[in-house]
Amino acid sequence: MGILDRIREVVEGLTVHGQSTAILKVKAQIDNLFMIITVGDMLGVPILPPYYSLRLLPYVFPNIQNWKRYMLRERDFTDLVT
Amino acid sequence: MKGLKGLLEENPSLKVFIYAGKGGLGKTTLSAATSIKLSSMGRRTLVFSTDPQASLSDVFEQNVFGKGEVKLAENLYVMEIDADKKINEYVNAIKKKIIDMYKLDSLPKDIEEYIDSAAAEPAMYESAVYDAMVDVVSEGKYDYYVFDMPPFGHGIRMIAIADVISKWVEKITELRRQAYEYGRVAASLKRQKLTYEDEILNELEYIRGRILKFRDILLNTKTTAFMMVMTPERMTILDTERALEMFNSLGLKLTGIVVNQVYPPDLAKRADAPAYLRRRVEEQKKYIAEIVEKFGKYIVSVVPMLNREPKGIQTLKPVAEELWSPSKKIEEYL
Repeated sequence: MGILDRIREVVEGLTVHGQSTAILKVKAQIDNLFMIITVGDMLGVPILPPYYSLRLLPYVFPNIQNWKRYMLRERDFTDLVT
Repeated sequence: MKGLKGLLEENPSLKVFIYAGKGGLGKTTLSAATSIKLSSMGRRTLVFSTDPQASLSDVFEQNVFGKGEVKLAENLYVMEIDADKKINEYVNAIKKKIIDMYKLDSLPKDIEEYIDSAAAEPAMYESAVYDAMVDVVSEGKYDYYVFDMPPFGHGIRMIAIADVISKWVEKITELRRQAYEYGRVAASLKRQKLTYEDEILNELEYIRGRILKFRDILLNTKTTAFMMVMTPERMTILDTERALEMFNSLGLKLTGIVVNQVYPPDLAKRADAPAYLRRRVEEQKKYIAEIVEKFGKYIVSVVPMLNREPKGIQTLKPVAEELWSPSKKIEEYL
């Protein structure tokens, strides 16, 4: 990694890192919702007819594992706090 | 009775004829006869079926199953969809797309299982059939389309939920745009690139378009004649009553009823008519009276039982004529 890249990362970390993390968090929530609606039948929530939702599968494929883990994760009251 | 001719005169913008009803009443035969008549008037006509059991291949005595559009005579084209094959190809294309997009050696097991189980769902079969229907009508290559519908299952409810689904898809699209905006901002802050967002939006738009088009084909009474086939039998009458209730709940408007497989009543009047035949015709009269009473305003044609199996274009021509412009009044069957 070149010195310029390092400098770029440091500047990024000082300035926009927090902002972009917050934004990505919102995006992750929206993405989760999107996954439930489109491929929700994977977890037993059928909304779109599978004939059509399969068309979207290739695009959401990379998120599936994380999404499933997130959805099926056990939750307790400490989740409310965080 | 006005016949199909009367229907078309009342509504010249009709393009699509759909024959529905339970199995074994002659939907396929009547679809074939309709297409023979329409094509004989010099209009390009496609007759379309999906059911490998009661098939157009049998009626036209030529194997057309899964072969795409086959020309049978001048202006007469037939298409018999192999839905299983279509689903198979569709599913394999999706699997291949994932493997190619992410340069995988093979699909993860759970995804493979998910796709296979989705493909095996009964609704999948109907969706594939209806999708093929939307395909041919959207293409618009023909003047008339005649559909031999498979007996209804869950898939027909797609009409009822088409609005709901289309609203869902709108919501999802909105959601996707939001995600896209957030993603774009975050990515530009971090100078990364977003992937596949446009493709997802395009797919969503496509899905919504297909579902709405399907609903339009079935519900648009200006362009579609939705026909039920009946026979003069107790069971069909009960079945049709139930079907009509279902259509009402789906917002489907019945255009007409064709009464099929009717014994010519004159036969029983002859002195040498066997008691067997007289008995049949007597019973039939009772049921036709019931049909007239219950569904009178819908009856378009009464098609008599032939003295042989209705197969081949030549044999079907008299059926087509009777369907087009009935030679008898309904009273003559009572």
